[in-house]
Amino acid sequence: MTSALAATRMNVPWSRFLGRHMTLAIGAATLGLFLAVALAAPLISPYDPIYQDAAVRLAMPSLAHPFGTDNFGRDILSRVIWGTRIDLQIAVIGVVFPFLIGTFIGTVAGFFGGIVDTVFMRLVDIILAFPFLVLMLSIIAILGPGLSSFYIAMALVGWVSYARLIRAQMLVLKSSDYAVAAVSLGFSRARIMFRHLLPNAVAGSIVFSMSDAVLVLLNGAAISYLGLGVQPPVAEWGVMVAEGQSFITTAWWITLFPGLSIVVLAFGFSLLGDGLGEWLGVNE
Amino acid sequence: MSGPVLSIRDLTVKVPIDGETRTLIDAVSFDLARGEILGLVGESGSGKSMICRALVKLLPSPAIAITGGTVLLDGKDLATLSEDAMRAVRGAEIGMIFQNPTSHLDPVMRIGDQIAEGIRYHQGFDPREARAAAVEILGQVGFPDPARQYDNYPHEFSGGMRQRAMIAVALSCNPKILIADEPTTALDVTIQAQILRLLMDLRDKRGLSIILITHDLGIVAQTCDSIAVLRNGQLLEHGPKRRVLAEPQHAYTVSLLKSHPSMPEESGGTPLTPAALPIALQPLLEIDDLVVRFPAPGLGIFKKGKTEIAAVNGVSLRIMPGETVGIVGESGSGKSTLARAILGLTPLTSGHVSFAGSDLAQQRRQTLAKLRTEAAMVFQDPYNALNPRLTIGDMLAEVLKVQGNTPAARIPERVGELLDLVELDRAFATRRPRSLSGGQCQRAGIARALAVDPKLIIADECVAALDVTIQAQIIDLFRDLKTRMNLTLLFIAHDLAIVRNLCDRVVVMYRGEIVEEGRCDAVFANPRHAYTAALIGAIPDIDPDKPLPRGDLPPRSEPKAAPVVRGQPLISMQ
Repeated sequence: MTSALAATRMNVPWSRFLGRHMTLAIGAATLGLFLAVALAAPLISPYDPIYQDAAVRLAMPSLAHPFGTDNFGRDILSRVIWGTRIDLQIAVIGVVFPFLIGTFIGTVAGFFGGIVDTVFMRLVDIILAFPFLVLMLSIIAILGPGLSSFYIAMALVGWVSYARLIRAQMLVLKSSDYAVAAVSLGFSRARIMFRHLLPNAVAGSIVFSMSDAVLVLLNGAAISYLGLGVQPPVAEWGVMVAEGQSFITTAWWITLFPGLSIVVLAFGFSLLGDGLGEWLGVNE
Repeated sequence: MSGPVLSIRDLTVKVPIDGETRTLIDAVSFDLARGEILGLVGESGSGKSMICRALVKLLPSPAIAITGGTVLLDGKDLATLSEDAMRAVRGAEIGMIFQNPTSHLDPVMRIGDQIAEGIRYHQGFDPREARAAAVEILGQVGFPDPARQYDNYPHEFSGGMRQRAMIAVALSCNPKILIADEPTTALDVTIQAQILRLLMDLRDKRGLSIILITHDLGIVAQTCDSIAVLRNGQLLEHGPKRRVLAEPQHAYTVSLLKSHPSMPEESGGTPLTPAALPIALQPLLEIDDLVVRFPAPGLGIFKKGKTEIAAVNGVSLRIMPGETVGIVGESGSGKSTLARAILGLTPLTSGHVSFAGSDLAQQRRQTLAKLRTEAAMVFQDPYNALNPRLTIGDMLAEVLKVQGNTPAARIPERVGELLDLVELDRAFATRRPRSLSGGQCQRAGIARALAVDPKLIIADECVAALDVTIQAQIIDLFRDLKTRMNLTLLFIAHDLAIVRNLCDRVVVMYRGEIVEEGRCDAVFANPRHAYTAALIGAIPDIDPDKPLPRGDLPPRSEPKAAPVVRGQPLISMQ
């Protein structure tokens, strides 16, 4: 797959590459846009996201406030822009740690099999036996509300899917001839596991991590909505949706714009995931 | 024979790739008479399967299209027929069988129903009539008890019986033409002979015309009436079998004929006599009463305790330094398990393996360390044997680094030398397996084995997946390497002709046991065991006047430890 990657890089002009991988291109562009917005937040946001202007409470979208204002007179556009930083962070951190933990455990369990495998896979079963949100909420309740609790809870619960994916791949790959060859050449187990088998096993998980990012994003929003994640007055899309809820019939713009941002970002991740899958040949 | 059943004129198939159009089949023309068996010969990528897929318009991708020519079947031009009309032709007029019967039979449908389905669809029989017809066909293709076996599922049969079932499915609608795409390549040589014989019988009984796609000229010589040689989508030569075999017109046909392993070679054909043999009194490898058992597949619900299958059952063997020993046997005979047991890759159940004087069972650590630095393995599937993510250079460098005998600064130079040894251009160091051909990959695999500077190389069916001309090249490479580097070679193969060409000594395995061993020429000239004789007899010879043997196995003495379910092969270790 890397060879395909390298070949694409070397031989095919970008225009044709993009033409052939529209999904990937659109997904990457969407995410790039959000990233740019997040980085440029101080430059492009017209107002301070937590500045309250009592004079313009619940103002309709207008030229001065393109996305309107909320019940405290805060500018929604500025809050959506600053919220991008938090929500991207949630999606990335919420995926990276489960990915790393799950990949490691899956690799070890799949490669060694036997008792190691049994222990880890029963642990996976136990975690999967609880409804996901319930487990998340209980962990956060123990640790106390806040983003770092959310990340820890994600890491503790989210790794199971990655562990299962990688383990299944490892079970297949460890009986491949090149794995046997590596054993017969006296390579150490760690080398066989991490240098030879893991790179061949990981493509599927990378693709999955993109759709997982969508779920994490929605989870983060849900947790914040329940008041256990990001604390007011920090601008985060889930919190904003929650705050706007009571005004939904009179001031729809408070919930609409952050909600839309969640949808578009999720859409971007999911396109990127599909595109990556196509590109890396995961479904072949 | 009357006029042609099928007449192909200027058939051209093209596919657009990256803006340009590649020609897959280039204006091929030939006729197929009633009752004729035509052998389509060529190497992989020559377009032999593509032609047959074009005939029934089952091209592998919608982008690939027939761009010219006519395919006349009884006056109908199939090339211009609509998809609906085509469906009536497939099965009813042209039947197909494929290389791998397992993947072309529906695993959850009874064998008989799969045959009856076609009969009902194409001939409009009611279920009772269809069943009767299917039972009759099953009998015709050699099922011993068709009425009972109608209700069995594909997994209950051996590979050979499955191929018979596929033929039965193809015959169910009484086609005029049967296309057989490498029908025996996945089968053992004795089973192959039976299937080929069946095809010829069917031709005689039903007046069927057969297009037989194969890479094995021996098969063509034995079964076909005429031969068509293909290369790069072009028909190089087409004519009656005897003329093509005796006076090939095209240089490529000559080289194909030459690389057939049953041809006597002009030079170096006799195995090298190991002159050094008497000097080395200590065998490099000594195997004594080795037994390797595996738990039997399937759930032993009705049996108490675990059933075990002995893949290797009491094998004893001594191999001297510098010797080349061939191990032959059919799939499930335990050859590969033996190889893996020798290298310590599979636990031994009992017995001893000692390598260069140290015993694998008793001094496991020490012996394993020795094996890892002094023995190496070459695998069957060249692509699966190389890590797809590493370049050939990285892969070799890693082996050198882990083995630790080469100073880091000298590694790039050594990688180059290894590539030279296996006659690969040094530029291949930067390429990945996927961009290499099968033969090149296999050379890289051999280079990896040589990187450990081994005393012993075990080659497990290392040419089975390659085209004949490439096979011949790899065998030459082995022959060259073993003299130059004084290698001891344990060469596992199911192809006896190759073993005869390369090895000094041959060991014949059958159901986990050694049934015969001895000097190659002696064993091949005078097989003492009935199984060896059957194996040797079943090789299709390139001389059309040597009759194809029946391929019957001697009555098997059921091994004690091996419960066999309805003629299934023991276990396939490949």
